[in-house]
Amino acid sequence: MSDTITKRQRQRAGGRYGAVGRALGELDDRLGVARGGRTFLDKIFPDHWSFMLGEIALYSFVILLATGVFLALYYVPSSTIVTYHGSYLPLDGMQMTQAYQSSVNLSFAVRAGLLMRQMHHWAADIFIGSMVVHMARVFFTGAFRKPRELNWTIGVTLLTLAIVNGFLGYSLPDDLVSGTGIRIAYSIILSVPLVGTYLAFWVFGGNYPGTVILERFFILHVLVVPGIMLALVTLHLVLLVRQKHTQFPGEGRTEDNVVGSPMFPVFMAKTTGFLFIVAGVTAAMGAFFQINPIWQFGPYDAARISYAVQPDWYMGFLDGALRIFPAWQFHGFGHTIPLEVTIPAVIFPGLVFGLAYAWPALERRVTGDHAMHNLLDRPSDRPKRTAAGVAVLALVSMLFIASSTDVIANYFKVSLNTVLWTMRILVLISPFVAYPIAYKIAKELHETKGAGRRKVTNVVTRTESGEYVAVPAPAYVDDVREELEPTPVPVFIEETEPTGEDDASGGVRVVERD
Amino acid sequence: MRPVNTLRHLARYALAVAAIGAPLAWALPAHAANGPVYQTSRHNAGTPNSDVVTKKNGQITSYGDSAITYNVPSPALAALGQALYLQNCASCHGTEANGVPAAGTTGAFPNLVGLGPATIDFWIESGRMPAADPRAVQAPRRLPRLTHDQALAIAAWINSLSPSYPAIPTVNVKSANVAQGAALFALNCAACHTIEGDGDALARSTFAPSLRNIPATQVAEAIRTGPGNMPRFTGNLSDYQVADIVKYVTTEIQHPRNPGGLGLGGLGPVAEGFVALLVGVAVLALVGFWVGERQ
Repeated sequence: MSDTITKRQRQRAGGRYGAVGRALGELDDRLGVARGGRTFLDKIFPDHWSFMLGEIALYSFVILLATGVFLALYYVPSSTIVTYHGSYLPLDGMQMTQAYQSSVNLSFAVRAGLLMRQMHHWAADIFIGSMVVHMARVFFTGAFRKPRELNWTIGVTLLTLAIVNGFLGYSLPDDLVSGTGIRIAYSIILSVPLVGTYLAFWVFGGNYPGTVILERFFILHVLVVPGIMLALVTLHLVLLVRQKHTQFPGEGRTEDNVVGSPMFPVFMAKTTGFLFIVAGVTAAMGAFFQINPIWQFGPYDAARISYAVQPDWYMGFLDGALRIFPAWQFHGFGHTIPLEVTIPAVIFPGLVFGLAYAWPALERRVTGDHAMHNLLDRPSDRPKRTAAGVAVLALVSMLFIASSTDVIANYFKVSLNTVLWTMRILVLISPFVAYPIAYKIAKELHETKGAGRRKVTNVVTRTESGEYVAVPAPAYVDDVREELEPTPVPVFIEETEPTGEDDASGGVRVVERD
Repeated sequence: MRPVNTLRHLARYALAVAAIGAPLAWALPAHAANGPVYQTSRHNAGTPNSDVVTKKNGQITSYGDSAITYNVPSPALAALGQALYLQNCASCHGTEANGVPAAGTTGAFPNLVGLGPATIDFWIESGRMPAADPRAVQAPRRLPRLTHDQALAIAAWINSLSPSYPAIPTVNVKSANVAQGAALFALNCAACHTIEGDGDALARSTFAPSLRNIPATQVAEAIRTGPGNMPRFTGNLSDYQVADIVKYVTTEIQHPRNPGGLGLGGLGPVAEGFVALLVGVAVLALVGFWVGERQ
């Protein structure tokens, strides 16, 4: 027996959780992280796949920030005209802005530059796509109801900002296609009644195209809008933890509890794995699918235009509305209001997003339901809400399709005018067709017994004597869910019992330190 | 029901009908009964921009540039050409090639006299003529019915009726500048053919065809003669510039560099949106389904 301390003894002396536990203890002594940490690690996540849709958006946002930092290291936000002498020969000797030159160089001359650019672009498309899907889930299940209206509002704001920032980023390379997009944006701003001209000159620093717009878009795209979005995403998540998750009704699930997996260790493993999968899928898309080949488009020049120019998909409904709206104008009182632009590109999106903001309040008013809701609806439980949502989605989808009228006409060999008129009619009637169909389906589903539940399968086996026997298969894990006994929470620190002494005197309130 | 209420209801109903109907009536314009004629019937009078014109046997063979040589098909082929013409073309364009197949049908089909060999050669060698459907708004590109030599023979015969230009171009793409061609393409061609050369639908069933699979000679012929809706680029583009565009089209447009992976058909955001939503979001939602339901 020697006096030296064995490794095992040292570990035992360090307490049950070793060096990590000690470090956390030290941190807790100074910052008091144990209480919040425990709340966070014990947060319960209901095991339903639709709760992962928002996480696609969250992790796409993380990828956007990471790849965006890389791109910002090489991109030059400048309208200064330079002559290109780079590695892409078809552009050799061409006059272009420094912004476009740096974007092309970043694609061809920077190691992994093109991959990063493509990942950034795909991540943006996926980001907004998953936000829309997440929003649809929240809407159709009624997760926006009291007490979560504020988080719904934050979500709609995030979607708006993401679309705006997507457009700003799309404009930065200053290629022929994105320049056309800026031109359209300028016209849309101009079309705002009365103040349009002043507004457009204020944004562009003078008449189109001016020399400052790329610089302004850059600072908005990389700092202002993402900064606001980061703050709102944080708030979104803080509210999520504070208000706890909603859950679908089921055995043992009530308005007052949350049944699911705890943050640590189950959900943390899931969600970390999911982060890597989202990053992996985005990287694979960046590697194998080419997006926005700006070198094929050439630099922007106000005199040049390409046909068949569409915006990125999330702006599609706006482009579609602009394309199919009839050429109406208002002249009078010394003013011209281009209604063909104002109505589809200013008033219509205002109405759609206004409706999204107002929906929780509207629904409260219509149903008179002011109660707290932590249990979700199935979409068939509320046929009217579901039908309304489907009607709006149908309208926006038709407008989205209308943004590719030329491609449809070309590929299906139909007259462009036929496609245009078809889309006009479809846009007008689609909500009125979608509403009753969705309403009827939801209503019938709601009244069907066992709809939405998994059917119990029978396993048919053949005995040795040749007899067939049908035996009900063992139930799915989902179907029998027992509420687990609360697990004892590991104690990192000794919590002192509150003494209960109340020695406030002389109007001074004493707050105990914990 | 009290009359006041009925009246109020009627008024409301009328207001609603007016509110919905007025914009509709405004939006639905009366279509003109007679559609415009899209096939060109103009006499081709294009004069490529050049000071120096070389003539041989009274025919223009060059506009002075070394970038493009214009060759007139040999008049010796005219007899063969007339025979081929009568077999393949005369039923619409008439035996005189003047666009009058029978009495009383003037104006129905283009007059070919004086159009120049390049026009005749382009329409036949691109497979557009003889037309599959003479009433179609725009003849589509097809596999050619006649061979190169047969096309030359027909061009030689029509040219012999009234010698005219442009003759059939041979483009010297070796000395052409592809960067210059890219700039000229963006300025002159992309507005219809799209910047990636895919072509697209124009108004009323006309379309700008894809440039993906077109030989150099036909690109130059199309630029110089302006088939269908396409403008004729003559005075504003020199032979050097046409050669630059031809080089850009036959290299970068027809063999685009896609270092970023699959080119997605050069369709731009339409294809990209499909991939983003149906591959990106859908795959991740499926993975989310897999991850989210595990316990």
